[in-house]
Amino acid sequence: MKFSLTILSLLTALPVLLNAADLDASARGIIEAVNAREDGNHVTRDATFELTDRRGITRVEKTTGYRKYFGDEKRTVIFYTEPSNVRGTGFLTWDYPDAGTEDDQWLYLPALGKVRRISASDRGDYFLGTDLTYDEIKKENKIEIDDYHYTIVGDTVIDGVPVTEIEAVPINEAVARELGYSRIVLSVDREIQMSRHSEYWDVNGNHLKTIHNAGIEQIDGIWTVTEVTVVNHKTNHKTRLLFENIDYQTDVPDRIFNQQMLERGLR
Amino acid sequence: MNKETDVIGSKQMLAQLKETDMQGNRVFSQLIRWRWPTLIISLLFFGVLAVNAPKLTRDTSSDAFIDPLDPALLNRERVEEIFGLADPIVIAVVNEGKDGIYNPGSLNLVAWITDQLMRVGNIDPDQVTSLATESSITGTASGMEVDDFFETLPVAQANVDRIKTGVDNFPLYQGSLVARNGKATVVIGELIDPDLATETYQEIMTLLEEAPASPGDALHVTGEGAVAAYLSTYVDSDASRLNPLAAVVITIVLLLAFRTLRGTLLPNLIVLLTAGGTVGAMAASGVSFYVITNGLIVCMIGIAVADSVHIFSQYYEEISKDPLADGKTVTQRAMSAMWKPVTLTTLTTMAGFFALALTTTMPPIYYFGIFGAWAVGLAWLFSMTTLPAILSMLKPKQSRSFRAATEERGLSLNVTGRLMHRFGTAVVNWPLGVVVTGTLIAVIATVGAMFVVANEERIDSFRTEEPIHIADRTINRLMDGTYYLDVMIETEQAEGVLEPAVLRQIDQTQRYLETLPNVGGTTSIVDYIKRMHQAINEDDPDYYSIPDNKNLIAQLFLLYSASGDPSDFEEEIDGERRLALIRANVAVNRYQDNSVLVQRVTEHLNESYPVAGASATLTGDLNVDYHWIDGIVKSNLLSIVLCLSAVFLMASILFRSLVAGLFATVPVSMAVLFVYAVMGVSGIWLGVSTSMFASIAIGLGVDFSIHTLHSMQEKISAVTGSWNERLVTLYASTGRAQLFNFLAIALGFSVLMTSTVPPLVRFGALVGVAVASAFLAAMTLLPAMALVFKPAFLHSNQTEKE
Repeated sequence: MKFSLTILSLLTALPVLLNAADLDASARGIIEAVNAREDGNHVTRDATFELTDRRGITRVEKTTGYRKYFGDEKRTVIFYTEPSNVRGTGFLTWDYPDAGTEDDQWLYLPALGKVRRISASDRGDYFLGTDLTYDEIKKENKIEIDDYHYTIVGDTVIDGVPVTEIEAVPINEAVARELGYSRIVLSVDREIQMSRHSEYWDVNGNHLKTIHNAGIEQIDGIWTVTEVTVVNHKTNHKTRLLFENIDYQTDVPDRIFNQQMLERGLR
Repeated sequence: MNKETDVIGSKQMLAQLKETDMQGNRVFSQLIRWRWPTLIISLLFFGVLAVNAPKLTRDTSSDAFIDPLDPALLNRERVEEIFGLADPIVIAVVNEGKDGIYNPGSLNLVAWITDQLMRVGNIDPDQVTSLATESSITGTASGMEVDDFFETLPVAQANVDRIKTGVDNFPLYQGSLVARNGKATVVIGELIDPDLATETYQEIMTLLEEAPASPGDALHVTGEGAVAAYLSTYVDSDASRLNPLAAVVITIVLLLAFRTLRGTLLPNLIVLLTAGGTVGAMAASGVSFYVITNGLIVCMIGIAVADSVHIFSQYYEEISKDPLADGKTVTQRAMSAMWKPVTLTTLTTMAGFFALALTTTMPPIYYFGIFGAWAVGLAWLFSMTTLPAILSMLKPKQSRSFRAATEERGLSLNVTGRLMHRFGTAVVNWPLGVVVTGTLIAVIATVGAMFVVANEERIDSFRTEEPIHIADRTINRLMDGTYYLDVMIETEQAEGVLEPAVLRQIDQTQRYLETLPNVGGTTSIVDYIKRMHQAINEDDPDYYSIPDNKNLIAQLFLLYSASGDPSDFEEEIDGERRLALIRANVAVNRYQDNSVLVQRVTEHLNESYPVAGASATLTGDLNVDYHWIDGIVKSNLLSIVLCLSAVFLMASILFRSLVAGLFATVPVSMAVLFVYAVMGVSGIWLGVSTSMFASIAIGLGVDFSIHTLHSMQEKISAVTGSWNERLVTLYASTGRAQLFNFLAIALGFSVLMTSTVPPLVRFGALVGVAVASAFLAAMTLLPAMALVFKPAFLHSNQTEKE
């Protein structure tokens, strides 16, 4: 009798012990699932950047762009269409899977008439005057799994949808410095394996920014963000990104991603 | 006036005085009868006020001194808001060796400081700028390389040359990030909460004690925000240390004057009640405790002590005259005799303080005037109620200082009394000589006062050996300058500043600014566009220019902004590209130099703008400082004239004679002249703090005039004999009280001269000079003038009619 009681108490305690150990693993698992989300081999899309400064003055820039996987390598090209004085300005990026290899970047300024190679940006640098970093743009709502330790914070509701809050803390100070964050909290919608909302803290723990995926639609069977708003709490600068004419179907020729096409661009 | 009318006049005057005395007697006999309720009510009144004191907020910011509606300030605030400008904290690594900071030791120190600074709580880690955070841009045949200066850490000797070349090729960093001669480089941090500038400064100073400096490296910390904030706390802490010491010195003077416990403690009680009541009233009305409010505290001590000294002198005189009288009677007699002069001095001092409030442009000085007047009123109230209530409860005890009095009536034979009597005898025997000498001295003082220079330099408020002073001088010697003069360019439509014609004019304005004295360098969006234009063209120096193609300008700018964070160009251009800022780094922030700069830049802007629809406005800290100090300097004379007029008017009304008004202004005018003469001769500038010294001199000095005038009137009317004989009697009584009054204030203020803060030393010295000259002038010139001019107001009105 005594023996069975011990067994019983061990059995009741077991789920609790297992739970604690499991939670971190499952947090990482959720992020792995997010990273495994389908995002199409190639895509064509127009993007509108609404950049609002501290005083509420908004500057609107429009681009059209393409993205395509070449195996694990990802190539992206974007051309400015508005305002008219920068129309045709293009950026081409070859993003290599090996973290040790620097990305290649080229730039075309129509008023100069020349393609110029520019050295790669750091992951934590801001992307084209937006409040998103190069890393966030490149990852397209995914996360470099080994950058962080993950913990489940709890469940909540964002935009009427249940989500799981996951705290991600950089694995060491070097990564924190590189990314510019000491902590992030992601609200992952596990139905669609995508974060709907995320909060960021700078390396000193000051509340830095909030990214909100305000529009998420299923296009050609792929869950796609159509509207992102970002607020930088320190600078009060805001970014609103709108994606339109998203097309995963129409083929994107490989040659679009070379320097000659960058120069021919929108002409 | 014949002898007969004189006698009749004196008799009537005596009758009139008796009448007033009777009234005073009645009031004080009632008050003493109800002494417990009086005491309790007065203490309750104090309690009601003082209970607010803990709510008092301190405001040590330097902007507090500027009228919030000052156009230059509003303009600067608008520009700061548009361009997101913040006062930075600047840490300089200086190495005056052969290679300057271009050695692994100094560069690794920069990396260490940058890293540590990012960890300081009130520093925005994303806005720290140094060689460790910046990149060099190099144009190559195929394109453009953007490399961090510090690619790998620790910096090795092999990388030093690459870093030096990078800086040499990047004009924007020269003079602002690295000294043009390579002897210094800076790490710049931005404060999250500017109100914590002082704490952050101190935290950084502590942090740097641990810095791994190699031989030859020196560290300095400065920054306009830190300097301004630290200055206020620096003055504030020294003043809070010295104010109590001043009270101790005054107590010692009181002890010497009366040699009794009550004569020493009760005046201190009045000081306490006045100061507590005033601070409480300030808190209740939501007024902050500014750095100069410390001056008000010392003034309150002076004012409250003055009333008590006169009342106590009378009190002990009454005891010596009638040693058997009880406490009530003695107190009643003393109060009846003293209420009038004390009330008169209260009203004239209040008038002086109100005039100061009315003429100032600075909120802290306005409140200084208002609460100065309030404190004077409060000191009067407590001296008229609390003091007699307590005195009447105490058994009269002779003061040893007054004990010897008096077989010769009305003359105390103690040392100070005898001294004053002798002094008075000399004055009344040579009245014309005194008046002529006084006039001569006034003329000489006027000449001295002519040498006063209006100037102000904030850093000069620190001793030259203070680290912040050394830092300011060193950094401003090596770098382009830590002070800013800004020009805002405004165009009519979005993208307007990217017009080539506008950019070329901005460029010309920069080149003009760089020719001006103390301007080390300038920055604007033009520098970035030129640099990008060069980089995109294989670093060919011929392309360090503004392109003619407007689209290329827009594209270069897009390219540059693409590589930075969204607020990177906030300080140079607004989001619409409609406004741009030209920033000149200036090495000195001194009123006289600013005056030249502001004038010349204004002329240039008027001649060169508008151009292609762009207008230009001068702004920046230096412009604000210039304008408000200019206001102070220009209103200074008006302020003095108004304060003197207020004293004149009040005294004229109270003595019902314009001549009396003139008499009352003579000693305070002498005090003002002497303050300016000392400033002129010793090279003390007329600036922010010194501008109010004259008004304080008037406020504290007028008491001597009024007490002397009142006493002269009494003596002339009440005693028989020649004017000389009558006037000489005032020296041993009023004169002696005034001597102790003067000693208490002058010695109390002289404590401030031991301060480590130059403005406090000057404050102590100049107020000492003011009080001494007011006392001496009142004790010499007024009786001498009375004897020379025999003015009618010294006898009664009835006498005049007859």
